[in-house]
Amino acid sequence: MARLRPFAGYLVLAAGLLLVPAVFTRVPFYTMSTAVLMVLLAIGALGLVPLTGLARQVSIGQAAFYGIGGYTSALLSTRAGLDPWWGLLAGAALAAAVAWSLGTVIFRAQGHYLSLATLAFGLALAAVVNELPATGRNAGLSGLPPLHVFGVSLTGDLPIYWLGAGLLLIGTVAVHLLVRSQLGSALTAAGDSPVAAAAAGIDIAALRRTAFVVSAVLASVAGSGYAHWFRYVDPSMLGLLNSVQLLIIITVGGRESVWGAPLGAFTVVTLTEVVRGRLPGSGAEAELTAYGIVLVLSLLVLPRGLAGLPAALRRRAGAR
Amino acid sequence: MEQLLGYVVVGLATGSTYAVIGLGIALVYQVSGIINFAQGDFVMLGGLTYAVAAESGAHPVAAAAIALTVTAGCGAALHLFVLSPARDAGHDRLIVLTIGASILIQGLALLVFGADQHFAGSFGGEHQFQAFGISISAQYLWCAAVAAAAATAVWALLTRSQSGRAMRALAADRETARLMGIAPLRTGLIALVIAAVLAAIGGIVLAPIQPPDATAGVPLGLKGFTAAVLGGLTSPLGAIAGGLLVGVVEAVVTGLVSSGYRDAVVYGLLVAVLLVRPGGLLVAAVRERV
Repeated sequence: MARLRPFAGYLVLAAGLLLVPAVFTRVPFYTMSTAVLMVLLAIGALGLVPLTGLARQVSIGQAAFYGIGGYTSALLSTRAGLDPWWGLLAGAALAAAVAWSLGTVIFRAQGHYLSLATLAFGLALAAVVNELPATGRNAGLSGLPPLHVFGVSLTGDLPIYWLGAGLLLIGTVAVHLLVRSQLGSALTAAGDSPVAAAAAGIDIAALRRTAFVVSAVLASVAGSGYAHWFRYVDPSMLGLLNSVQLLIIITVGGRESVWGAPLGAFTVVTLTEVVRGRLPGSGAEAELTAYGIVLVLSLLVLPRGLAGLPAALRRRAGAR
Repeated sequence: MEQLLGYVVVGLATGSTYAVIGLGIALVYQVSGIINFAQGDFVMLGGLTYAVAAESGAHPVAAAAIALTVTAGCGAALHLFVLSPARDAGHDRLIVLTIGASILIQGLALLVFGADQHFAGSFGGEHQFQAFGISISAQYLWCAAVAAAAATAVWALLTRSQSGRAMRALAADRETARLMGIAPLRTGLIALVIAAVLAAIGGIVLAPIQPPDATAGVPLGLKGFTAAVLGGLTSPLGAIAGGLLVGVVEAVVTGLVSSGYRDAVVYGLLVAVLLVRPGGLLVAAVRERV
């Protein structure tokens, strides 16, 4: 049974992703552009499962990697005229290199410096991108070409959605394999008890760095996807709110499980749309307030997130 | 060259407010082991409440009292309703909880006060004085004086009072302090309220210089973090020295280069310190236990 369960999970995820276009185009509330946003954010949040869920390291700077992906794609495709896929790959490679270097130094010291370092790094990068002429300053870069598959260019929400859904499935399988591998067990051990893990001969710093690199690559891929979907990037991509949003997604969805990313993305994007569309005269203020309440409540009431809900209910039923 | 000295003076004065903000961060970290990401929003809340009260005609002292009360109450609420219920959680969850509290405070401030900047007059009227070839507002002197008084009060509290001793005991050895009958939750509550009050003081004295809006908390909090981390996160004196350094770097970059790169330089400074000397600039490098 335990061996079957991941396959059941994949089936549910694949079926859900397949059904989304049929459902979202027929109900009044959801649109295909919210669906694209959901899959892209789910890809970005997926990387936080090994990092925050297993290794218990909090990054508040994922938007920096999101932005690195977006801006690398934008610069390579508009200025250098390269194929968009090269931009996506180059962005991922650059994000990996940055995370690897940052991780090498930051994880030398124990403690909770990653949250501070990623926060400061993200804001510093956003401030630089906002000032540099090469990145278009606060106007950003526009005129990005769309991504293409087998010679068909992906314009419009539906084709991009299928691509994003495909990438999300691949990413989920990859992160799931990582979580269930020996590396995943080591990450869990390092997260649960760093002292015991270190005593068992596990190189905690290298482990955390690996998880950080994985999270950076996934955030960068999501950023590139977003850039070629929107055909435009600006410094708000690197904003603190984007980092916090990914953190909320994985916390609400369940940071210890790969299913937490799609669950959380669906919930948080839905919440954003509800707040923006349904509350009278609302803007960023209601959105921030809602995010804050949801984040605090989910941590207090449902620390394992929505993905941990079945197990929590079963435990409660068993206790009775 | 003369102007540079002027920028240093301005930097030291603004830096003294970053110092008290950072002092609050270091205090909470020492007593509860929590990196409080809501500290910047306490600064915003204090400054904004003060400016709004002053705009509506309240006497500056009354406005300051209101701002301090509101922020202290918010700090107590954060501890009682958010951090205490999760006391068994790991540090990662506590960090994310303070981030949640931070955006919640920001959202509520936007709902209550709107997105506009609010203006408060300088303490005791507008005065300028000339020093080192630049004209400096007298408010900068108020910043330095109030910050010095606040830091002295915290020092007296830590060394002379019962709860101050409890805080230092918890910081030195958590388990032994508990065995000696010190209640970590109650002491943590006191530390967080003190941190909120320090943040509000910083926000109030800065309000006439940098008119606050509801989003002013993030950059101010970051400067407080930079101050605290420069001082090694565990040393109150280090946080003060760190704050002064941040203020000077910021003022010199703004004066000599451009205000556009000011934030990038201050945040870059934090990254650099974390990368090079995560134990702080002023503390001898200590290999922390895992």
